[in-house]
Amino acid sequence: MKRKTKFKKALISLTLAVSMMVGVVGCGSKEEEKKDVSGAQYNPFGDYQVTTEDITLTFWHYEDETTATMMAEAFMELYPNITVEHKLISDMSTDLSAAAAAGTMPDVFEGTDSDTALANGYWGDITEYWEADPDTKNLMPTINEYGIGCFDTNRRFAAPMLYWPSAIFVDRNVIETLNLDMPDTDWTWAEMIDLIKAATKYDPDMMYYGLGWYNRLDSLYGIAACSNAERAIKGEFGYNGEDFDLQYWATGEQQFSDLQLAGYVAPTSGSDAMEEWTGDYDGWFGATGHVALFSEAFWTYQNIWAQDGYQEDLGLDIVPYVTPNVVDEKEHNVISNMYMGGISSSCEHPLEAYLLLRFFGWGVDGWNTRMGIYEDKTNVNASGIALQHSSMPVPLTLDEGVWTRYKALFPQDEEHKPYWDDYFASVTRPVPYGWYSIAGYWNFCDQYFNSIDIHGLVDTGKAKAADYVDEATRQANYYHASAMLAYFGPDSPYATVIGYKDILSADEIAKYQAVVDAFTTQ
Amino acid sequence: MSKRTEKQSKPKIKVGKLEKRESRAGYFFIAPWLIGTLLFLLIPLGQSFYYMWFNIRITPKGYAFNFIGAQNFSQIWVENPEFPQQLVTYIWQTLLEVPIIVVFALIIAMMLNGKIKCRALFRLIFFLPVIIVSGPVMNMLVSEGAATIPAMNVQSIVAAFDRVLPTQIATSVGEMFSNMIMILWYSGVQILIFISALQKIDSALYEAAKIDGGSGWECFWKITLPTMKPMILLNAVYTVIFLSGNEQNVLITMIESAMFSGTAEKGYGYASAMAWMYAIIISVMAALFFVMLGSKKDVYDRKAKKFKKEQKKEERMKKRVRRRGERHARKVANHANKFTTYDGSGDY
Repeated sequence: MKRKTKFKKALISLTLAVSMMVGVVGCGSKEEEKKDVSGAQYNPFGDYQVTTEDITLTFWHYEDETTATMMAEAFMELYPNITVEHKLISDMSTDLSAAAAAGTMPDVFEGTDSDTALANGYWGDITEYWEADPDTKNLMPTINEYGIGCFDTNRRFAAPMLYWPSAIFVDRNVIETLNLDMPDTDWTWAEMIDLIKAATKYDPDMMYYGLGWYNRLDSLYGIAACSNAERAIKGEFGYNGEDFDLQYWATGEQQFSDLQLAGYVAPTSGSDAMEEWTGDYDGWFGATGHVALFSEAFWTYQNIWAQDGYQEDLGLDIVPYVTPNVVDEKEHNVISNMYMGGISSSCEHPLEAYLLLRFFGWGVDGWNTRMGIYEDKTNVNASGIALQHSSMPVPLTLDEGVWTRYKALFPQDEEHKPYWDDYFASVTRPVPYGWYSIAGYWNFCDQYFNSIDIHGLVDTGKAKAADYVDEATRQANYYHASAMLAYFGPDSPYATVIGYKDILSADEIAKYQAVVDAFTTQ
Repeated sequence: MSKRTEKQSKPKIKVGKLEKRESRAGYFFIAPWLIGTLLFLLIPLGQSFYYMWFNIRITPKGYAFNFIGAQNFSQIWVENPEFPQQLVTYIWQTLLEVPIIVVFALIIAMMLNGKIKCRALFRLIFFLPVIIVSGPVMNMLVSEGAATIPAMNVQSIVAAFDRVLPTQIATSVGEMFSNMIMILWYSGVQILIFISALQKIDSALYEAAKIDGGSGWECFWKITLPTMKPMILLNAVYTVIFLSGNEQNVLITMIESAMFSGTAEKGYGYASAMAWMYAIIISVMAALFFVMLGSKKDVYDRKAKKFKKEQKKEERMKKRVRRRGERHARKVANHANKFTTYDGSGDY
């Protein structure tokens, strides 16, 4: 008995000793490995000295988690002394406000709603790095031209990270079945509306609809509406960089409502009309083969229609079209989903955080890494889906090498390639939806536009969009002006806690204050 | 004897070691509750009371407080009409649901207290939802339609009530019917409380009642219910608190989302104002049920009091009659002394 116990003790001691040795040796080798490489630090721009200390950066994002892990690994190979810990954001407001309250703010993070980040001073000033970064000179032109991420200040708080332009997809099979002609890729808005009407036909087996929608047509129309001479629209609701004018939105809204009420628009999922049409309450119009045009999100193609055998099985032949302009004399801006990213205003390693930001966002080095990940279809996420089919974004850089590789991921046959080439050529002037780029936009939607359910009232024919133009314009301008003061004024958290002074000039403050005063005194 | 000497003569009682040890143990046992109350109730309560007067921004470098007085309240009432609407709906729903839950729990508790086979298993089944509703599982079940009774045509019920009741109340009634299963699932803890109370009723009372020819129905009304009355109050208040704070409550979701909202108007201050308004409404609701069910006297006390009152009244009446008779007799005597008849006999 005693011998047995003695043996046991010896065995445990031996195991502990071996595991300690392995631990010590393991730690040592890792340290050594890191220190060896940190001597030659990769620095993509400027005279900035990247730290050689071992640091950890936290990155919260909306990427596919596997893609983010692979990108982070590639970044850590470039900067062996930097460890990147990343996390998928489930709800921006909740996650970030909880992190801010707990003092665990991520160094780098993406956001869907800029008002949240600005109201609380989450994003730090990256103007200096942005201006020194050569890759920011070769981006889609509207990003610098319209100051996307600057929020109408002379500082840059955020930068576009994930970009998905809007698109009108056309099912060639439906057009052919209905004996219609495929439109030119440089079509106009009126031609698109005519095609929607022409492609809506009764069929005893199953009705054909002209349009299936995910993005509302009024959002698309609002950007494509008028010439620059009339109004240089830089954002939703007729925003021109200073104020709003909702008359353009109203025209698109009414047109969309009229199409819906006249029966040109396919039922949406989860409705009785969908069940009546397809026999499936939760059916999706994109899988019916009975819809001609789709105002779908860009990712719908890669995530669903581009899956192997999907289109063949359902008898679809989907090609992309540019969102048409209403008038010809205008550069082709396109409304887009554009997640913004920035570094935390409390970040202790802003340069390194910026490097991580650009690597994931617009940096050519990052995009080449991405292309390597997307090109290999064996790279799959936790659900077994190839990463190029998991909400792959569109490059923000205009780098030719990146674009050649990117376009190669889409159909290359003679019939389809021209559509894709034309489409990609048309998406170089993105205009983000309002909540990404305009201060106070979400407050306006939350407190006024959505709270009185304007979309619902107009869509159901209970009200005309034109009836709301004046009041909605007044409200939008007020919310924008009051947000600009609250976010960047002398009493804002940026000024009082973060320490950024004079973000707005005295004239700008007076201008916004005048709008607020005019609104409140009415 | 003067007061001073009285005080001096009072013997001093020295607290014994055992008593000291017992009191220490007592404090030790309630210490977690005291610490918990202080940390998680009183401090946050004070904080939220302070916060509600401010617009608070939580930046990565610290809090930014901006005093705005009662602006959070005016914003809630003027610019966020959904919150006051939901408050009204909550009041109606609580008034309707609390009695249903309590009565259902009482019936089930009485059934589970009887001598039935697999009693423990049935008790477990009825308590199981308490575990389920305490987590996100309940949200998933509700989203899958598990809270409704499929055979129940809720729309027809609401339409019927809409004809006779104001829309706000009809909607609340409709909500109640569409969440009937959920309401019943909320009864687990109440059933347990009732069972424990039922088990404490002295069985001799029932035996005595039966010997006197009391039926089960009479025993329920005259023994069970009066004895259970404090527990009914407890369960009613518990149910008010539970309904007010569970995850399915829209108001809780609204407060939570306002708290974590990054928009300029909302945040901790705005959410605190909402929470305080809600807390006051909850307190009023709890007080309402307390007033309705909290009377210490039961039906027999009331009857005895009434009987005594009547007895006193009768006695007073008798006294009054006696006094009146005496007065009358005195009057007659006086009268007789004052006047005389023609013949001098005194007879009229």
